Amino acid sequence: MIGTSKRRGSAVRGGPAVCGGRAARAAGAAGRTLYAVWSRGGGRAALIVIGVWTAVALVSLVWTPWPLLATDGYHTWQAPSPAHPLGTDGTGADVLSWLMAGAATDLAIALLVALVAAVWGTLLIAAMVSRHGALAGTAVVAVDALISIPTVLLALILAVPLGASVAVVVCACGFAYGLNLARIARPAALLAARSAYVESALANGASGMGVLIRHILPNSLPVIAVQLSMSAGTALLAEAGLTYLGVGVPSGVPSWGHSLTTSVRFVTVYPAAVLWPGLVVTVAVVALNLLGDALRDATDPAAVGSAPPADAVEPDGTGEVRDGR
Amino acid sequence: MRFLAQRLMLFVAALFALSVLVFAALRILPGDVAAVMAGMNATAGQVARLRTELGLDRPLAAQYGDWLAALLHGDLGVSAFTGRSVTAEVAQRAQVTFPLIGMTMALALTAGIPLGCAAALARRPAVRGAFRLVAIVAGAVPALWSGLLLILLFARGSGLVGLFPSQGFPMGGWRQPGAAFASLTLPAVASGLIVAASLMRHTRSALGEQLEGGAVAMGMACGMTRTEAALRIGLRLATPQLVSVAGLTLAQMVTSVMVVENLFALPGIGAMLVTDVGNRDLIAVQSELFLLAAFFLLVGLLVDLAHHALDPRLAAGADREGGRA
Repeated sequence: MIGTSKRRGSAVRGGPAVCGGRAARAAGAAGRTLYAVWSRGGGRAALIVIGVWTAVALVSLVWTPWPLLATDGYHTWQAPSPAHPLGTDGTGADVLSWLMAGAATDLAIALLVALVAAVWGTLLIAAMVSRHGALAGTAVVAVDALISIPTVLLALILAVPLGASVAVVVCACGFAYGLNLARIARPAALLAARSAYVESALANGASGMGVLIRHILPNSLPVIAVQLSMSAGTALLAEAGLTYLGVGVPSGVPSWGHSLTTSVRFVTVYPAAVLWPGLVVTVAVVALNLLGDALRDATDPAAVGSAPPADAVEPDGTGEVRDGR
Repeated sequence: MRFLAQRLMLFVAALFALSVLVFAALRILPGDVAAVMAGMNATAGQVARLRTELGLDRPLAAQYGDWLAALLHGDLGVSAFTGRSVTAEVAQRAQVTFPLIGMTMALALTAGIPLGCAAALARRPAVRGAFRLVAIVAGAVPALWSGLLLILLFARGSGLVGLFPSQGFPMGGWRQPGAAFASLTLPAVASGLIVAASLMRHTRSALGEQLEGGAVAMGMACGMTRTEAALRIGLRLATPQLVSVAGLTLAQMVTSVMVVENLFALPGIGAMLVTDVGNRDLIAVQSELFLLAAFFLLVGLLVDLAHHALDPRLAAGADREGGRA
């Protein structure tokens, strides 16, 4: 028993965080992780981009250079000028203003998709690692079966009653990415669920739910955080695609997918208009992926990549399960 | 064996749940299907006639039963808009979509796996970092944008270098193989980029794991070079994982495929679905959505079975895990 605990303990450090001041410890661990992300090149670039994105989204709620509905039939498809830094679109509306307002919509979509995926994925993980054998087996196989349904088909099914709406994007992507999350985080969660400290907690009368919240989820948190960060990026790509197909963000609501879609029809006449919306989406998705990679490196010092600074290797912070198998 | 039985049972259950979901999504419309299909200007009499014609005045259970029975006989119904049989329409359009999916996958595999191997085998940190960045950036480009950029660069007539046609599919279909192939080239590249990047990342991580494992070390001890051992032993051991990933990617790339079908004006299944949803041709949409979702469930099942056939360790593990209660 002691041998087991030693072996597991090395794999899932910092699991039994049962003492007082858990909130403070969690905040400290989050701060250290953030610092470790910041101290890597890719992570710093990602945090800067995401910071600018958030700031622009907040600013756009109260101010944009031009009102969104300010159209001007005499100045359509204008090249960049001091008045319109990124030019105007086919209705004479200011491209920069629409991209700024789109930043808010896309930020909301990324966050909501991550939230839905986190909740749905956590429920699935709980079922997958449950000690109830039949439930766990069914959950594993159900995830395998459902994961093969394309997001876009779900979106089309939902769009029939709901029409084009943000809810379609959030539900379809959240459902699909929750399944992905469950599949990827399962090994880590399973390792924690079968560990000696969980056994001892259960022997001491802890409830299944308590063990899940205090031990299993904290130990799967690094994997979950990395996956959610990447999922938020994929959600932006899905938003652009679904909006173009007419089942995503409704027309009239600013979003990056909307800006990209409006530039499509006259692409061969006004090629420059295509540049900015696509570039913005790509940069945001790259940032979220870099954040995911940096999070993985920060929580797993042994992983490939540049050597982390010594103080980033936290002795008791977020334990990481490198590979569940 | 236990895994197989469970997986097949879940496949049938998922098919059933999906048919209920699709049916319900079309019946909880505000108003009803007949009112939506007849349009805004229809009189009450016309709506009532259409309702009787489509059998929508009968109980839901009877409608569902009839639809399911017809589906099982391969009868997908008749499009209310064009009057053509949905089966014939799907069969014709599959001649565009399935070759497109095949070409996308082929491109992604031929680019993604060698690049992933190179990334895993690279030793210099700068080279590893460069590979990593290439994979992240290539995976962050929306298919809509890469399609537009390809049109601007390579489209015949409008691009910088007029190499490939950018709009439509030859009338003769595959009886003009050269023209058909050329018209699918740019769409396949546009949707293949993200898939290639994703396969590259997965290949790198799967092969990276194998490089640290004993099998590759054993190969090197027997006199192979590191590269030989990685490619001849490591890659083979990583194959089951890569098959599984390729199957999942298939489900994720459908959004891109639908987007590029619309962008390049290809008469494929994706374009058909979007048109039918736009036309409110709901009886056709119901069958098409179910058929496509069922197809991907089947692909998922086959990929899972292939994964298990290729990796006997997994089957043993699943049976043991399932047996533990």
